[in-house]
Amino acid sequence: MSDELPAVVCVDADEGIRTATVQALEAAGFEVRPSGSVADTETALDDSVGCVVTAATLPDGGGFDVVELVRDRYPDCACVLFTDEQPADLPRGGREQVIEYVPRTVSDAHDRLVDVVTAAASGTTQAAYPVPENEAERLAALAAYDLEELSALDTFERLTSLITSHFDIDVAFVGLVDSHEERFVACEGANWRTISREDSICTHTILTGDVMVVEDIQNDPRFAAVDQLKEPDIRSYAGARITDGEGNALGAVCCIHGEPRSYTQAEVDDLRRFADEVEEQLALRQRLKEGSE
Amino acid sequence: MATRHGAGYEFPGLPLKRVDAGTNLLLTGPALEGARELLLGLLLGEDGVLIITADTSARKILSAFEGVGGRIDRDRVRVVSCTQERDDELGDFVASVGSPGDLTGIGIEYSGQYEQVYARGYDTVRTGIYTLTPLLVYSEDVRPVFRFVNTVTSRIRTADGLGICAINPSAHDEQVINSIAQPFDARIDVREVKGTVELRVTGLPGQPTEWTAVPALS
Repeated sequence: MSDELPAVVCVDADEGIRTATVQALEAAGFEVRPSGSVADTETALDDSVGCVVTAATLPDGGGFDVVELVRDRYPDCACVLFTDEQPADLPRGGREQVIEYVPRTVSDAHDRLVDVVTAAASGTTQAAYPVPENEAERLAALAAYDLEELSALDTFERLTSLITSHFDIDVAFVGLVDSHEERFVACEGANWRTISREDSICTHTILTGDVMVVEDIQNDPRFAAVDQLKEPDIRSYAGARITDGEGNALGAVCCIHGEPRSYTQAEVDDLRRFADEVEEQLALRQRLKEGSE
Repeated sequence: MATRHGAGYEFPGLPLKRVDAGTNLLLTGPALEGARELLLGLLLGEDGVLIITADTSARKILSAFEGVGGRIDRDRVRVVSCTQERDDELGDFVASVGSPGDLTGIGIEYSGQYEQVYARGYDTVRTGIYTLTPLLVYSEDVRPVFRFVNTVTSRIRTADGLGICAINPSAHDEQVINSIAQPFDARIDVREVKGTVELRVTGLPGQPTEWTAVPALS
């Protein structure tokens, strides 16, 4: 795999068609993993795959079964349907399986496929959440931190413990928003480690100016349908954005409570101060890291 | 008529300067206060045109397109209709999905029509979505709508197209509007005051930031 292009899984039961498609994608520089079925696709998937190109009909299912599998395992991975069937004739999956489609019947179909795959795999183009405008810079800034090391720090554990008692809430956490998931580097009151970005409230917090309060998650159309947020101890949210010195949003310091809850301006200011503390700790870790190099 | 010059799209007759190829614009305003006509006016030109219509039938949207000076050339102009009204008899330049909640179908039909226009030699395409509001209303979960908007705006951006997507701001929470607005390069607000349609632009340098009359639509 090149440094810039992600791997592509090419799914088609017809060996001749699949081989031609694989060759076209390989000629464009992609590492391509051929697959002849839904089951084989499950084996071929991993986090280095940026796009799945699938036929509409497969021996053990259909293209939308592949899409369902991909969305379940790697929800941000782009999916492209490449078939000679016309849109109206396609067996439909659910009503919410948004994908790209390239008909094999158009002239220069492989060229068009390469164009669409190249574009679709160029970032989180099929993400089910809003993506920051400076996402590449933001992720580069986050990559400078050792998340495993941060997760082991007692400092953040002490801070989240202090936050739960200060606000009299059920859960407090420090979350860093990575490319596909949010990682909880410290969490008091629950045993959460990661959540996918499309399910994460902090995905939205990093887009806000500073502190975001959701008084009742079940009444907010952005989050009311998220199953992961329907746990009994998750009903209200307040999150203060964490940024680095360049202004890149790395994550958030957050309060979760099992009842709907509002926050006074004084409480919002306090949460901001807790987030300032996390930002200072992160900056300190970076200075120590740079000093040791 | 609007024309495309070099690496951008122009809008003669409208108080907007040229925008770069690959630009996506979010158009916010009530339906009866010029939003539909402004969106259709932004699609005028000799480029390929794709219209996704979600709360106006294909027949009405095409009539309105002609009303603002558009020419319906079936090789160049294509429609994806996701209203409840039957538009099948109009021909294959109109694809019917049947429900604004069928995001799978809308996405596939849009891609299919895009490829049909591209195959006919139109490698610059103006896409208009009128409007996102029914898609949001019909979807119980907002996340697939985010995926739809990200997918369409990404295709427009990477294909050097132009995207204009309308939404009725009074129908949604402000937070939803702000999140939906994320993949767009700029926002055009439109309103009607005493019979005069006005617009203002946020997010693009050199465009009118104060309310500015649109004489062509008044």
